[in-house]
Amino acid sequence: MMQTRPVQLSVRNVRKSFHGKAGEVRVLEDLSFDIHARDFVSIIGPSGCGKTTIFNIIAGLIEPDSGSMQYLGQEIDSLRGRVGYMMQKDLLFPWRTVLGNVLLGLETRGIDRAEAEGKAREYLKQFGLAGFENAYPKMLSGGMRQRVALIRTLIMDPDILLLDEPFSALDYQTRLYLEGVLKDAVETYHKTVILVTHDIDEAVALSKRVVVLSGRPARVKVVHDIDITAASPIAARSDISFSSYFHTLCAELDIQTEKTA
Amino acid sequence: MTLTLPGTAPLPKRRPRARRRPVVFDTTLGRTALQTLAVITFFALWEFGVRMGWISAFLVGSPSGIFSLAWKMILSGDLLSDTWYTLFEAILGFVIGTIFGSLLGLALWYSIFVARLVEPFIVAINSVPKIALAPIVILWFGTGLVSKVALSVSLTAIVALIAAYQAAKDADMDLQSLLISMGANKHQVFYKAVVPSTLPAIIATFRINVGFGLVGAVVGEFISSQRGLGHMIYNASSLYDLNSVWVGLFTLMIVGFILYYLIDIVERTSLPWKQASATHQVQV
Repeated sequence: MMQTRPVQLSVRNVRKSFHGKAGEVRVLEDLSFDIHARDFVSIIGPSGCGKTTIFNIIAGLIEPDSGSMQYLGQEIDSLRGRVGYMMQKDLLFPWRTVLGNVLLGLETRGIDRAEAEGKAREYLKQFGLAGFENAYPKMLSGGMRQRVALIRTLIMDPDILLLDEPFSALDYQTRLYLEGVLKDAVETYHKTVILVTHDIDEAVALSKRVVVLSGRPARVKVVHDIDITAASPIAARSDISFSSYFHTLCAELDIQTEKTA
Repeated sequence: MTLTLPGTAPLPKRRPRARRRPVVFDTTLGRTALQTLAVITFFALWEFGVRMGWISAFLVGSPSGIFSLAWKMILSGDLLSDTWYTLFEAILGFVIGTIFGSLLGLALWYSIFVARLVEPFIVAINSVPKIALAPIVILWFGTGLVSKVALSVSLTAIVALIAAYQAAKDADMDLQSLLISMGANKHQVFYKAVVPSTLPAIIATFRINVGFGLVGAVVGEFISSQRGLGHMIYNASSLYDLNSVWVGLFTLMIVGFILYYLIDIVERTSLPWKQASATHQVQV
């Protein structure tokens, strides 16, 4: 079993509803969960259950109607400026070069240009993108772009990585490859990760814990510890217990709605 | 001929694939040749018609008259000085109008409240044909250079304003959200996400506005001026000097043409990221 680490982020009784044409839509209902230090938590749930809304609340892009968050025991409004948010779209700025994109976060923090650039080149080299510093995103493949996005996220040394289906737009091989890159990076830099995915396979292969949400309004249905100690996400897929986790999670999700995802 | 065995249906004839014949004229040189030919033919027919007495030289002028007049005006320096004057007014109006309009349009991004408040006024101002302002502008700013520049500004500013405002509104929300999640403040979102993403739209207005700049200058000169191509055209037409009118019009055409291609160069050099070719695509 995973040893218990201190709670890093605690989400308590968060509610959020939106006002649409058809009246009020309750998206999150009394949502609570804990993220431990150096945790790798996947959040899965039926599509449209408000997974992205949770991230937007943690990142400080929207405010919850009620509820609270604690970071290392301290009450906080949000983790704005301290999270590394990565989405399905790579969201590279098309007018910036690879280097410029990687520097984005450090620039907003006002870090010295020369220092930031040195760090950026180091990261690019480490992730096999040396030589592409001056390329524009348009010239890169989808996998490379998402790697640049990952570097842009990691280089800011965020407290928590929020990954919102970061690989779902990629082909399967590229996805497997990038899952490995992600896992290595997270271990190298000792990061805490929350991954939203609709890919149960990916959730089991990468995570230490999986939070299953119910359909809208979203509540935590169950939390599973994933006790697979494989060296890589690919190796994890051939672990003896992999398929039993997979089927348990499938059973807990309304798989029919997953098809529309 | 194909032989058909008795009792077997003839195979459908395989149609030889229509090979694209390389079009000889679809090269830069070929196209230029065709275009030149068209222009020469046009002027030749015109000249021919006038010489044969089919069309009146008094009402349409004649190419030979136009060219010899143009040459005379070039030698005397009149044409050049008039052109410079109009061009100067147009460019000044274009630059001031575009900068002013774009900045205002971008600034509206800062406050949704203000933007909503002024939107109907912008629409109202835009719906007035700006040319109708010309008499007032002349009254206010006199018959000199300033009134023509002011007219050009009134034409170009509103185009730039609307384009910049619209582009700022349409700037990718996700890019902005990403910056905010990184801890960027509103100014940083503005400079790093909004402004760069509106640049293509703003630069696209240059093409339209360079033309509007000329319109403002020329119309201003029509109404009241002592110099410029507009003044020259207007004067000549009131004297039924059609050849001079054509010299003025063709000069304006050449000026507009050159400006258009200058903008094209500006567009290509200022947005290198738009030019990045897909042929350089690299695989993981």
